[in-house]
Amino acid sequence: MSDSTDTAPLLSNVQVDGVWHQFPKGTRVIEACEKAGSYVPRYCYHKKLSSPGNCRMCLIEMGFPRLGPDRKPELGADGKPIINWMPRPQISCAQDVAEGMAVRTNSPLVKECQRGVMEFLLINHPLDCPICDQAGECRLQEFSVDYGDSKSRFLENKVKKPKNVVLGPRVTLDDERCILCSRCIRFCQEIAHDDVLGFVDRGSYTVLTAHPGKRLENNYSLNTVDICPVGALTSTDFRFKMRVWFLKETKSICTSCATGCNTIIGTREDVIYRQTPRENDHVNSCWMCDYGRLNFYYLQSDQRLLEPQIRSEGKLVPTDWPSAIAQAALQLKQFSGPEIGIIASGRMTNEELWLTSQLAKSLGVQWIDIVPRREPGDDILLSEDRNPNTNGARLILGSTSEPGAKLMAIADAVKSGQVKALVILKENTMHLGIPVEQLAQLPAFIMVNILSNEATEKATVVLPACGFAEKRGSMINGRGRLQRLNRGVRPPGNARDDWEILRDLLQAVGGGDSLLSIDDVFRRISETVPQFAGLTLSKIGDLGVHILQMEELPPMHPSDEEKIEQAVAIQTTRRAIRQQLHDAPKAAAVGTH
Amino acid sequence: MDAAIGLYPQDHRRSAAMPLLHLWQEHFGFISDEAVLWIAEKLGLQPINILELVTFYPMFRQQPAGKTHIRVCCTLSCAMAGSFELMENLCADLGIQHQSDGEGIHNPIAVSADGNYSVEFVECLASCGTAPVCMIGEQLYEKVSPESAADILLNPQSAIRNPQFHSPHPLEHRLTFKNIGRADWTTDIDCYLHDGGYEQLKQGLTMSRSDIVNKVKNSGLRGRGGAGFSCGLKWSFIKPDEKRPVYLICNADESEPGTFKDRYIVHYDPHQLLEGILISCYALNAHTAYIYVRGEFPVGAKILERAIEEARAHNFVGKNILGSRFDTEIYVHRGAGAYICGEETGLIESLEGKRGYPRIKPPYFPAVLGLYMCPTIVNNVETLCHVKHIIAMGGAEYARLGRPNNTGTRIVCVSGDVQRPGYFEIEVGAVTMGQLIYEMAGGLRPGRKLKAVIPGGSSAKVLRADERFKLKRRQTDGSTVEREISIDEILMDFDSLTAAGSMAGSGGVIVLDDSRDMVWVLNNINEFYAHESCGQCTPCREGSLWMKKITDRMLRGGGVVEDPETLKTIGDNIAGRTICAFGEACAWPTQSFVEKFSEEFAARAQKPVPPPLPPEYTPEELIERDEISIAPLAHDPGWEKAGTAGTI
Repeated sequence: MSDSTDTAPLLSNVQVDGVWHQFPKGTRVIEACEKAGSYVPRYCYHKKLSSPGNCRMCLIEMGFPRLGPDRKPELGADGKPIINWMPRPQISCAQDVAEGMAVRTNSPLVKECQRGVMEFLLINHPLDCPICDQAGECRLQEFSVDYGDSKSRFLENKVKKPKNVVLGPRVTLDDERCILCSRCIRFCQEIAHDDVLGFVDRGSYTVLTAHPGKRLENNYSLNTVDICPVGALTSTDFRFKMRVWFLKETKSICTSCATGCNTIIGTREDVIYRQTPRENDHVNSCWMCDYGRLNFYYLQSDQRLLEPQIRSEGKLVPTDWPSAIAQAALQLKQFSGPEIGIIASGRMTNEELWLTSQLAKSLGVQWIDIVPRREPGDDILLSEDRNPNTNGARLILGSTSEPGAKLMAIADAVKSGQVKALVILKENTMHLGIPVEQLAQLPAFIMVNILSNEATEKATVVLPACGFAEKRGSMINGRGRLQRLNRGVRPPGNARDDWEILRDLLQAVGGGDSLLSIDDVFRRISETVPQFAGLTLSKIGDLGVHILQMEELPPMHPSDEEKIEQAVAIQTTRRAIRQQLHDAPKAAAVGTH
Repeated sequence: MDAAIGLYPQDHRRSAAMPLLHLWQEHFGFISDEAVLWIAEKLGLQPINILELVTFYPMFRQQPAGKTHIRVCCTLSCAMAGSFELMENLCADLGIQHQSDGEGIHNPIAVSADGNYSVEFVECLASCGTAPVCMIGEQLYEKVSPESAADILLNPQSAIRNPQFHSPHPLEHRLTFKNIGRADWTTDIDCYLHDGGYEQLKQGLTMSRSDIVNKVKNSGLRGRGGAGFSCGLKWSFIKPDEKRPVYLICNADESEPGTFKDRYIVHYDPHQLLEGILISCYALNAHTAYIYVRGEFPVGAKILERAIEEARAHNFVGKNILGSRFDTEIYVHRGAGAYICGEETGLIESLEGKRGYPRIKPPYFPAVLGLYMCPTIVNNVETLCHVKHIIAMGGAEYARLGRPNNTGTRIVCVSGDVQRPGYFEIEVGAVTMGQLIYEMAGGLRPGRKLKAVIPGGSSAKVLRADERFKLKRRQTDGSTVEREISIDEILMDFDSLTAAGSMAGSGGVIVLDDSRDMVWVLNNINEFYAHESCGQCTPCREGSLWMKKITDRMLRGGGVVEDPETLKTIGDNIAGRTICAFGEACAWPTQSFVEKFSEEFAARAQKPVPPPLPPEYTPEELIERDEISIAPLAHDPGWEKAGTAGTI
């Protein structure tokens, strides 16, 4: 699989701070130094973008072995090659390692260079850290402590530049803080394919901006905020809301589409403040889309369902969990399998889906499906499939037809009165086209959800559940990679973890013993679903495991100009794979109708 | 406009951005928002790509200028000759309020109330030998004394002086400048042909490519643009079996203050340059050559374009040149006032229609990844002219001119405080600094003594008149002896000036007499480099303006004790740490001035604490700033849901 490498790469011998190491050919010097334990500070360099070499922070000393008349390295008294050091410092971000190369990352000259660059970067910087959102995760702050001087020699007025610039609907720019590293410009050109940012004016007066007629409003704009090493680009959404050092960081995945971008959820005291992408070359590189990133506010909506409720005398009344579960089970047991329909969701975790399938089995239910969600995607990250776990549903519900194929039939069965009991899991029934009046007539209408909607009123039992950031579990992304969700915040009110609700319901209708933790559920899946064999929730790890025989998208590469052809080829491949994915369900859909 | 686009390869239409901006500005007077959008659309670019250019190149203006636009040179030689007084007088005569102070970077143009005139201070116009100079429209006016301001306004036609030529000095050896100033000389091809022109092209086309490259190698020709790199070695970086197209670029972006040699070749002997380019193209197997001519030479660009057409009519340019089956096109590409585009990779970026940001080397060595990522050779105008003479003389014969490792002739431009400033073509190293200043340039003005010399363009380290230089000289038997010499004895060649701690650079010698305030001189130089820094890499972007602000404060009486040391260390922190040689160019003057004239700098840096800074914001601006609030954001319909009820 793509996780393993078939051939061992060729290695180069490189001396870093006096010690010889071996690095694969093609390793950037700056990366090699980091691997060798000598971190080289950098601003403009980003491993997923081209290297302009403009910040000059990564200057190091570089040299090569002195060659004798026989073109062989001359050896010193210690038997090691004698190094000819270049007189000038070199940037380490734009060169790959070469055989025999030697670098010094902490010599007096290097320290002098770093101090000089830090001083230059700070003279025109506003030094407004107390009110800057970047404070706490700002490279300028960090490197100032590590490499800078404690006092300023600058006696002049600073250069004035625009502040509070609304670059687009989600990004705000402070040009005085900008250090002109051009990461954001390169991101827009090379990754987002939306060349909207640029520098105007020149010299020390250079200003980052967008053309007034074309703003930074692509669906990837907030990545520029992530890669901005200073507080110049800030997220309009997150700005001034929370000091970053108070944020608890939880590794999770985005559930807004089938890509499953790896994320970090930033929370404090059970409130989510932001989501940022987490690097995973098999999935999302270092990026995520704005749509997914900001799609968490519904978890804090005032429409959250907070208490289990039972219909009593035509009205929903709050109750406790045991009563609610018992009532739900009682209602379901009144009907035979063919009279029950279960609408599950492609947004449920594998564990929840497995419990659902067990519930269906236990009740003899045939009418079970998920709601498909297809919207236009792009060639970058956003998938047309907006369900994060369609593959999980496909695998675990064990349906022979494509997810969603039975949906309309179920709706028709409800309309015709054939189905009398309906279980809705994390979906909005209103989208199925069943008239509300008819839903209101159902003798059993059990709803597990997080937000109330028009249909909630008509439910006979309402069971409040958890959103993606409030629970653990696993999902399989559109390319067949099994990944983990983690709990960043606790659910509000009396809402409960979905898998517990389903487990209790399963037990109440007669089944599902000895499932004490979510790990037990996963173990059961691994025993029954061959693709999960040998795995546990903890074995999935932070970066996930590829478990389905599907082609993963090639990782997004740095697009240095000499690599442009390669990048184009990758882009074409990505497009082709997405096209296949796009065409396949359509073909299936045609077949079923 | 389509014709302009056609000069560049089909998939590199972006290169046409600057030509289109020039055409637009010539027609409409300035670059409007509409122009930015239209040109972006025309070239399939984003508007920001064009806006980046308009704001990078000072010659493009976003506001209309007056009907008559006057550009006054404010760089060192002109400033010494009175260009600031000239500007004052012009403004007084025209009733224009010119913002002399401050950061007029966003709009340096001041327009008279009636809209008839506008004035602008510009950096070096490359005519330092006839300082002070100004441009009125496209026409250059030389030796415009401050008193004659009214004259040139009243009667601009009569104020055009004939070019100030002088006959060769006995110490000169005219090769490339042979025809400059000849009474019977014109830029017509017939004149050039009558004089034996294009014979070397014919000769070259019969030779093998490697023969020509070897001749150039043997000649020992070193680049005349500033770095003095071996031309033959540079050419040999191009692989003979290169599969990608090879480009030759003639660097006619002459902008180093103190240098004004290429101006004469471009304006008065264009066919010599074309012949040099054509021979070089043949030797390098380059089928396209671009002449990147600085924007301030609009007349020169037209002369070159006409010369190319004449040469095409004679089948020296185009398909199957003189039956040799070799094709070459030469195109003229105009810059727009950015000094940094004289740096070869900055020039290439500019030619590609981008901001003139120099590239990092490695990996972007022009000979490997140059124009359009193809192998590219960039040579100075004068260097390319020498190729013609190398073919005529043969490499070995040419190498006999000058001194070993410093072969041939070169043009030395003398400006500043001498009686007869101007250009002199000398055999490299055949004259001393003393001969150059006192014999050829007529010495200093009566009663004045030599104080300092900047020997190779304003970026070269300054030499102090009373300095003693210890130079090693190689004897005929191979041994070296060290000799202590005075400034007058320094030979005008690459190696001697390097050994004296400076450089021959672009050959622009600026002479300073004892009336000059060295802090003022350095401030003028710093102003130039702060204005011309492209702003790409940190040390030069921040350091160049910082140095200028310090010398400016010192001049205004606010120098503090630490200033000389601060200046020196800023220079140290720039030199050698930038993407391109601009870092050295802007650091060397400061480093050398502060070191060599420490007493003058110390005298200007007496205050224990700096004077209070002028307020950063005016009261009005502060109110405005307070009122700035984050504009309400127009959320895309799709996001509204994401922010509130969710996409459930």
